[in-house]
Amino acid sequence: MARMKFLCDVERCIDCNGCVVACKEGNQVPVGINRRRVITIDEGKPGEKSISVACMHCSDAPCIAVCPVDAIYQREDGIVLVNKKTCIGCGYCFMACPFGAPQFPSGKVFGARGAMDKCTFCAGGPEETFSDEEKRLYGQNRIAEGKVPLCAAMCATKALMAGDANVVADTYRKRVFARGSGANAWGWDKAYGKK
Amino acid sequence: MNRKKHFRFILPVGVLLLAGVAWAGSPQILLSPGSEPSTASFAAINKVFTGDWQQYGQLFTSLQGGLFNRIFLLVLTIVPVVFLLHYIIIGAKSFSHAGTPIKFFGILTRFLHWLAALSFSLLVITGLMVVFGKFLGGGALIMSGRSVHLIAAIVFCLSAAGLFLIWLKDMLPMPHDILWLFIMGGYLSKKKKPIPAGKFNAGQKMWFWLATIGGGVMAWSGYNLYSFAAPTDQLRQMAILHNFLAAGLVAFFIVHLYMSLFAIKGSLTSMLTGYKSQEEVAILHSRYKI
Repeated sequence: MARMKFLCDVERCIDCNGCVVACKEGNQVPVGINRRRVITIDEGKPGEKSISVACMHCSDAPCIAVCPVDAIYQREDGIVLVNKKTCIGCGYCFMACPFGAPQFPSGKVFGARGAMDKCTFCAGGPEETFSDEEKRLYGQNRIAEGKVPLCAAMCATKALMAGDANVVADTYRKRVFARGSGANAWGWDKAYGKK
Repeated sequence: MNRKKHFRFILPVGVLLLAGVAWAGSPQILLSPGSEPSTASFAAINKVFTGDWQQYGQLFTSLQGGLFNRIFLLVLTIVPVVFLLHYIIIGAKSFSHAGTPIKFFGILTRFLHWLAALSFSLLVITGLMVVFGKFLGGGALIMSGRSVHLIAAIVFCLSAAGLFLIWLKDMLPMPHDILWLFIMGGYLSKKKKPIPAGKFNAGQKMWFWLATIGGGVMAWSGYNLYSFAAPTDQLRQMAILHNFLAAGLVAFFIVHLYMSLFAIKGSLTSMLTGYKSQEEVAILHSRYKI
């Protein structure tokens, strides 16, 4: 079974936030919840780097370990999903996640948090595939259609790649061979005469 | 001749310069853009991205993932069993109703106590529902449990605050409390000898302080957990604190239930009517001056 992974090429990411908008719009994510976000370090300085991050769909997911109601599960292809009907909104998954992926809508009853929402790798949820229920709760199920997630599909520079881990790794490797990395990337050595 | 002289000058200076550069690290001025390996940027991004998780994230994950459930299960099984054994081996203490009953709890005290008792019981039940949620199917049932937990917490805080003020003076530690602890309040023997205690004995005092101060800490940490008011790493610490303290409170609550409902005959009545019998006060609260 293919293991699905994200890989954001920091040499290519230009902090356009196209992935963020694509995800929010395509999945009709409510206001206040951001499944994906772009982090930039050293902004404006030499060595500025941006990376697009969402749920990492970890192999030994800490969110799965801490959920008191076992609402989070992992598919065979590695995609981690939440069952919103089981989730009680306790927030333990948010505290356990190193990446802050779980998000919570403001609740209706006494301001309690609603059920957890996060990046689904555009793989829907436990409901029946392509059903209205699934679309309403989790957004699009592009993996079942054989397409890559919206964020990777819309990436302006194809910095963000998502899909079969082997294919993604191969693509990245070819890129690095073609352009070099670090000091040698894109011929900086020619531009400034330094290695 | 000249070249050699220059060389003897240039070489040490060159070495010093290189040493200076090496010692200073990599001054920005010597770097061209992108001269670090690209993995260095991932390390820098990681610090911004996950930095805090290194503090308490790992601890929280392993405790919540494996330990808390087991602690609660142990508390819920071992504590009742221990007291069942006590009931079988030593049994309850009962006292005669002869003489004028002594007033112990006024109407306000009793009202606040039962309000606190009801809300505390709801807190324990709904809290355990969250801890063992997966065995109850999760979902809307547990979610409404969380709302009940919130309301009960508010009711408990108000009534416990009232009880705290009413009982504070009588619950202050006294020297004879140490004597009480040495003999475990006389509960390990069937004999009825006068026990060193004032209006409240050391066991009652321990429960009082745990429930009020501990309850306050639970309320403060619970508020933060409910509203996500604190920064994430502090939330993790509060979740750990809330769980450990909860286990302690549940254990002591079971003790309190056993003592007041089973071990001392007439104690439930005293909290309903407000009066204790002469013999009970003479034995169990021998230092109480009316």
